[in-house]
Amino acid sequence: MGRMRAAAVVLLAVSTITAHGQLRSDAVTKAVIQDVGLPAIDRGLRDQDPPRDARTQHNISHARAEDALPYLRGSIIVKFKDERAAATAQVAGDIVERSSWADFDIVDIPVGLEPEAAAAAMRLRPDVEYAQPRYLNHAMARPNDTLYANQWNFPAIDMERAWDIQPGASSNIVVAVLDSGMAFRSVTVRYDSLFSFRLTPTGQVYPALGRGILVPFAAAPELGASGSDRFVSPRDFIWNDDLPLDLDGHGTHVAGTIGQLTNNNSGTAGMAYNVRLMPVKVIQGLWDEVFGSPFEGTDDVVARGVRYAADNGAKVINLSIGRESGGPAAVVTDAIRYAVGRGCFVVAASGNSRTEGNPANRLALAAPDIDGFVAVGAVGRTLDVAFYSTSGSFVELSAPGGDQRQGGTSAGILQQTLDLDVLETYRRPVSQYRPPRADAFAYEYFQGTSMAVPHVSGFAALLMQQGLTNPAAIEAAMKQYATDRGATGRDDFHGFGLISPRATLRGLGLAR
Amino acid sequence: MNITLVAPSVSLLLLALNVGSSSTAYAQANSQARPQPAPASRPSRSFQVGGYAVVGKFTFKSSESFDAILGITSAPVVGGGARVGLPFGGLFVDAGAWRLRRDGERVFVWNNTVYPLNIPVEVTMTTVALSAGWQFHLRRVPKLLPYVAGGFTSMNYVETSDFSTPAEDVSDTFGGYHLCGGVEYRILGWLGAAAEATWTTVPDALGGGGVSKAFSEDNLGGTSVRFKITVGR
Repeated sequence: MGRMRAAAVVLLAVSTITAHGQLRSDAVTKAVIQDVGLPAIDRGLRDQDPPRDARTQHNISHARAEDALPYLRGSIIVKFKDERAAATAQVAGDIVERSSWADFDIVDIPVGLEPEAAAAAMRLRPDVEYAQPRYLNHAMARPNDTLYANQWNFPAIDMERAWDIQPGASSNIVVAVLDSGMAFRSVTVRYDSLFSFRLTPTGQVYPALGRGILVPFAAAPELGASGSDRFVSPRDFIWNDDLPLDLDGHGTHVAGTIGQLTNNNSGTAGMAYNVRLMPVKVIQGLWDEVFGSPFEGTDDVVARGVRYAADNGAKVINLSIGRESGGPAAVVTDAIRYAVGRGCFVVAASGNSRTEGNPANRLALAAPDIDGFVAVGAVGRTLDVAFYSTSGSFVELSAPGGDQRQGGTSAGILQQTLDLDVLETYRRPVSQYRPPRADAFAYEYFQGTSMAVPHVSGFAALLMQQGLTNPAAIEAAMKQYATDRGATGRDDFHGFGLISPRATLRGLGLAR
Repeated sequence: MNITLVAPSVSLLLLALNVGSSSTAYAQANSQARPQPAPASRPSRSFQVGGYAVVGKFTFKSSESFDAILGITSAPVVGGGARVGLPFGGLFVDAGAWRLRRDGERVFVWNNTVYPLNIPVEVTMTTVALSAGWQFHLRRVPKLLPYVAGGFTSMNYVETSDFSTPAEDVSDTFGGYHLCGGVEYRILGWLGAAAEATWTTVPDALGGGGVSKAFSEDNLGGTSVRFKITVGR
């Protein structure tokens, strides 16, 4: 569990790394060797809890419901006024054998005949009480993804009924994920590892791996195919190129909560599963440091990423990043104002340090001053504030971020991301330290306000698709319909409350 | 018009009934000394039963709310009713009903801006109005019959939306009042056409939720202009 938490907050903890030989070569040591890669490796669910029964799947195939007619062809339902006449009624088709529980008949019609028309014709007959096509019914939009039963976070905010109203937004909505990158491309990249380092001042020293380290990357199978238009305008401000590959796992996990492929009978679900994703790398993982990335996730780099996203078509900007020391982030706040002014809705994490003095995420402090920019805290499975979720007057909303102190590993947020076993080899003994692999994936439970933020970003995408396009109006709607938690009214832990996508998407009628 | 006018208006109506009654009697007295005009439109001395069909346009008092959801501030109505002329001068009682049904969509309102959310909503208003009134008989224009009336309104309001549970839909009946005035033209002895204007107030019916709460509007009433075809005497 500790390792999982550490993975979620590793980016906020990079300041604890003691690097040896911080001088960096001016030459960028990242080069694409092969623009294709082997298929991604799926290493399954990493769940330390005993297995639980999967939830019964009641829903029919989504493809069937969407692609086929809403009724069966070849027969209709007819109730005759006179039960005795039914058997001898002169109908166009045959009456199939009636079930013992039924007081109506299933009448065969030619397959080529429109059931609506056939039923309408039958209704004109004086001996018919009613006639109708055999309409297909389905349950609420519960995703059929095999691990969906492990995603408590979506039922907790009534997402199944929300998806009934707005199923996953569409590719018209672009959500920018400003993070550690994203597993969006299958490619092999050559890096140089020229410095030794250690993770703690007294820890073991991990040696330089040398020049020409080949690292295989693959697109996360549950995010989309490599090279597909699921991913738009990728940009890496840490390596200053167009290949924002994830060497950490954080960004890929966050992207999954926003837009994981859903209803594909595989893996997990995402909030707004039809949106397009814009990978924008603005913070580095430890491997980026080891490989000598030319830039780090400073405020100016984050600000650059925010403006880039706004200028390249993003409608929602997800900031599951931040810092909890230093002064205000004026340059980022300016960039956020710019983005909101261009119609972007911006979401930032409140921070993960409530038990460490409760310092606020500096990037989120301006949220109350900008309509269209919200700061989000985290709740656990009980929907109470998570133990780590930073509180303060700047917190405006809360969303599921997981709380593994209450409920163990599976009380985190489950998504597919890079398999940390083969990625974070620096957590092994030095003798087993080797180059990472970024082409193997697993379903990992993370916790953090980083995990809460993409719920709100995905929610914003759904609202935009539904017609609420003004960022300030989106914020107002989210607050108005939030489910009050904790102290009555707004409080510093939950803000205005837990997001309520279904109620918000429904909006207002005339009288109710 | 404002609800505070209801009481004075009812008083005025009663006054109008008295005035109408007196002038009719005066006309009758005069008519005995002169050659008889056309026999039409004499005040009734017996029960007279008639029916009518009505079409018209209803303009909502809660105009911002209806505009936000239905995109309109007025809507066509259709209905019908029956009128019984009583054997007391021009006094009559009337029972009528009309219905209005429109489709719209649910919205979010922020800063007085309405954001449609593409969720269909259907509003149906069914009104039953019971009235008492007075029909004036003009000696110079015997085929033209002005009238005034007022009475009680019962309005059933139904609002259903896609993706709603039955508990989230609305179906309630509210009470109110109405006043109307119009003029009927007798085309034939048994057939007439009428135009009338009606003011209806149904207070405290809205405003508990939805956009009506956002706009602080609570009245389901409004004004209407209607045209009638009447049959019977």
